[in-house]
Amino acid sequence: MADKLTFSDEISNLLHASHGNPLKACIQCGTCSGTCPSTPFMDQSPRRLIAMINANMKDEVLASNTHWYCASCFHCTVRCPSEIDIAELMYALKRYSMWKNQYQEDLIGPTFSETFVKTIFNSGRSYEPVLATSYLFSLGVQEFLSEAQTATGLMLKGRLPLLPARIKRLKNFRRMIGRIIPVGGIS
Amino acid sequence: MTERIGVYVCHCGTNIAGMVDVEGVAKWAAEKLNHRGVVIARDYKFMCSSLGQELIQKDIHELGLTRVVVAACSPHLHEQTFRNACKQAGLNPYLCELVSIREQVSWVHTDKAAATEKSKAVVSSGVERVIWNEPLEPIRVPIHPDSLVVGGGIAGIQAALEIADAGYHVYLVEREPSIGGHMAQFDKTFPTLDCSACILTPKMVQAGSHPNITLMTWSEVTQVDGYVGNFTVTIKQKPRYVNAELCTGCGICQEKCPKKVIDDVYEAGLGNRKVIYNPFPQAVPKYPVLDRPNCTYFNKGTCKACEKFCPTGAIDFNQTDEYFQVNVGNIILATGFDLFDPLRIPQYGYKRLANVYTSLEFERLCNAAGPTNGNIVLRDGVTIPKTVGIVHCVGSRDKNYNAYCSSICCMQSLKFAHLVHERTGAEVYNFYIDIRTPSKGYEEFYQRLLEEGTHFVRGKVAEVTTAARDPKEEGKLIIQVEDTLIGKQRRIPVDMVILSAGIEPRSDSKETAHLFGLSCSADGWMIERHPKLDPVATMTEGIYIAGCVQGPKDIPASVVQGAAAAARVLGKIQQKEIALEPIRASVDQDKCSGCRICNNLCPFNAILFHEDLMVSEVNPALCQGCGTCVAACPAGAISGTGFSNEQILAQMDGLLLHNIQALNV
Amino acid sequence: MKKYAYFPGCSLEKMALSYNVSSIASMNKLGVELQELDDWNCCGATAYFHIDELLAYTLCARNLALAEKENLDLVAPCAGCYKNFYFTNAHLKEDPDLADHVNFALEEDDLHFSGNISVRHLMEVFVQDVGFEEIKAKVSRPLKDLKVATYYGCQILRPRKDHEETEQPVFFEDLMSAIGATPVDFPEKVRCCSGALIITNRKAALSMVRNLMMSAIKSGADVIATACPMCQVNLECYQKQVNQEFGIDLSIPVLYFTQLTGLALGIAPNKLRIGTELVLPTPALSNIRRGSADA
Repeated sequence: MADKLTFSDEISNLLHASHGNPLKACIQCGTCSGTCPSTPFMDQSPRRLIAMINANMKDEVLASNTHWYCASCFHCTVRCPSEIDIAELMYALKRYSMWKNQYQEDLIGPTFSETFVKTIFNSGRSYEPVLATSYLFSLGVQEFLSEAQTATGLMLKGRLPLLPARIKRLKNFRRMIGRIIPVGGIS
Repeated sequence: MTERIGVYVCHCGTNIAGMVDVEGVAKWAAEKLNHRGVVIARDYKFMCSSLGQELIQKDIHELGLTRVVVAACSPHLHEQTFRNACKQAGLNPYLCELVSIREQVSWVHTDKAAATEKSKAVVSSGVERVIWNEPLEPIRVPIHPDSLVVGGGIAGIQAALEIADAGYHVYLVEREPSIGGHMAQFDKTFPTLDCSACILTPKMVQAGSHPNITLMTWSEVTQVDGYVGNFTVTIKQKPRYVNAELCTGCGICQEKCPKKVIDDVYEAGLGNRKVIYNPFPQAVPKYPVLDRPNCTYFNKGTCKACEKFCPTGAIDFNQTDEYFQVNVGNIILATGFDLFDPLRIPQYGYKRLANVYTSLEFERLCNAAGPTNGNIVLRDGVTIPKTVGIVHCVGSRDKNYNAYCSSICCMQSLKFAHLVHERTGAEVYNFYIDIRTPSKGYEEFYQRLLEEGTHFVRGKVAEVTTAARDPKEEGKLIIQVEDTLIGKQRRIPVDMVILSAGIEPRSDSKETAHLFGLSCSADGWMIERHPKLDPVATMTEGIYIAGCVQGPKDIPASVVQGAAAAARVLGKIQQKEIALEPIRASVDQDKCSGCRICNNLCPFNAILFHEDLMVSEVNPALCQGCGTCVAACPAGAISGTGFSNEQILAQMDGLLLHNIQALNV
Repeated sequence: MKKYAYFPGCSLEKMALSYNVSSIASMNKLGVELQELDDWNCCGATAYFHIDELLAYTLCARNLALAEKENLDLVAPCAGCYKNFYFTNAHLKEDPDLADHVNFALEEDDLHFSGNISVRHLMEVFVQDVGFEEIKAKVSRPLKDLKVATYYGCQILRPRKDHEETEQPVFFEDLMSAIGATPVDFPEKVRCCSGALIITNRKAALSMVRNLMMSAIKSGADVIATACPMCQVNLECYQKQVNQEFGIDLSIPVLYFTQLTGLALGIAPNKLRIGTELVLPTPALSNIRRGSADA
């Protein structure tokens, strides 16, 4: 009889290629959360999230905003006394939650990442104005106005790209991407 | 003439019988090996029990057995048991072999049929080998009654006193100018809060004046030759530049010496000392030491204030290293520990941010005889801290530095918390991952600290920074940490940070291990013979370890190990001679070509070369019978009693069942 | 002339054009040629790694393969691009199966990854390949009295643990000293600028930017020097929003280290696109002009 894979097993498998130790090695010391600049804004600290993963609390983990608020500064990874690659864990959770389409409502991260990937597929390069659409509408009025002001300022200084850049061999590029079947497929 | 061999196959409960058909193996041996000399083959539930042993003894008497083969567990466990049983029955113990059908068969295989066949082969190999065994007598070497204790910290002092009190002579060698070790640096000791010096100095004085202890401080061991019972040790005594015969310890030289240097040994860099100095007032011996590299006379040829003012003319600038060779029967290594260097963790700010202290620095701060007279003040020497943060696990439990737990830091951190409360009334925060308070009175000490109002924050400190984010953080050291019990990141501004740095093996532990012929682990701690059952003995007979040299531990444990090592030594001395296992290599000098390949291969330095005869010789007392030289000798000139070529080849024949197949032809 | 394959990265095309221009100009002055990689594609930033790791590796591998074709080491001025290429290079070299999979995709563009070039961050080239002595020798206008907060950020240091000093590095300060400027003691120098959080978690990002600005200003810096376009944009373009969010009034110019180095090497400010910032550095930089006049 095959054993059913637990959530913590699933996440461990996702981290298989990373060079860190397994999540089981976590002694819950809190160095990661003490270091992380985003911790004050996360609903679960990175340490607590690892405890939740080890406890197989799948839905609660995917419902948190922790992994989407990771800035991937890797400070946690280099300080972890159990040598767990926590930043890589956050990437893995992001991928997992995109794959399962299970994440907190109103998060900008997932939409932003998807838009980014689409932009690359379209032209081989990123293009800020399109990316802006993924978050602009979540801003309040005053914030929107500030943003517009900043954008105008940048435009006047010649720093805002007006037209998207494209790579030359775009067709080959797209076929190249097609040869890697991503989790979830490309639309 | 064939031998009369008894074969005994053990069930070991179900450990062996569960996977091997033990009755079948015994029957097989009786039948198929009969022509090889097996006259009786039995199986029994527990061979190592008294009844099991009696079975063998009965057969020796009644059947006139000349060889015994027991098929059971690993020889590491019960070889001695069965050999002793044979000895008591009048059979030379070395005519008994124990073959493993447990660790090597039943515990590692899952196919019962195959395991049974393998067991038969193993028994057969034992039988073939034992035929070639010879009756051997243990090698007896005399034990020199003198002993050597290396390291004058609490463990070494304890060991030396125990041996000396029992009436035997001890050399106590210490590298620093005074004995006392790290314990002499501490202020109070946990959990009793005894003053460290008050409990240590009586022992130091005893050791310094004991008629049976030859105290050699400012000295180091440079060479160790010989073997258990008969070591020849070379000790280098560095020049004090003070004549001990004339010095009265009056201290005038230290007063008059015009040059101060930072004392980074005893005062942990916090205070100064003179160039000619006693490390602390209660130093034993009382004779000061002159620090030559810093001495104005030795550097420039001027000064000599100490000589001018010494009332007894005890200063002698002409002293040099002196070498002494001593004979001892046993050695105890008690060389202690070094502190983890927190500079390796830059985010804690040690040395970069002024008011971050290591544990040893803080001990000196608290010590009444220390650089601030026991006042807990900041680096400016004046300001009393209003908030103090104590960081646990600095450099310990961390795969980036030392993965192990340093054992004493939790208690030490609690002690610091108490001292800060007591002397400054400051708010104290202890930042920990776990509170480790295992021994007697330790948990109660933790309770006491809780009652004193210590703020315990469960979280490993992420960093110590000066980047203030609001007015209450200005000018402070900010400790950023996740309070894991609340699940929130906190920034706690403090005036002083104390880093409970872990303890590490001495920086030269690998060299020390090599010097004494010991092994140390990858971390650098000396390796004991058995971590559970024999923590003070080593694999080298006659050399013992005690105290932190064996691993992190507190003062009571160090004292216990010092006493335990002393007891072992005294036991050996009482026996006057020691019986060594006769499983040894020996060189057939007729075959030896003098190539000397074996000399350097021997891990125990047991092979000497005779220049005059151009042949090598194995010292049976040092030889541990590992067999390396036997295999290496290109001329096949070395054989081992207990592992001769004949024995090994016979073992192989037996294993391959050649002895049976011959019959089938 | 030492030559490298140069990967500007998407942001250096417009948003961080000053970094692009000043990098090429200052490297040229130091005898290093940066040859832009032909038809390079986006490195995937962090967002690609949120969707699929293998795809993200492929994107990076295409650029590595392009550099390999030129037989030149790849230099990236952006810390994010640098980190992506460095680790893709390392992982593909260690794992032949992964490399096979990626190479299968690269075939579509007639490319192949072999793992025979190294990846460098632009500052490494200044510090390790050119060296402080050489730079000092070529400085014609030392930035005397200019107090610089050397902002390392994250990905130029982490997660490379083989890097000697990830917590308290000094090479950026040493570089600033070499060009005559005065690096200040900047406690938050290795803390994160918030990266993409400026988009996805504005609140967190603004607090991180505020902390960095406060630390730099408190240290007495005239200007913050950065080594990554994301850091520069986050620190420079949102100062108004930071002030609004926290009810404070802070301001500090933020320049690229190549702009400062370029100035010191005697390149004209407009050639380094100094003046295209939202927070103009001219007041801070005017100090130096006075300084060199006295020199």
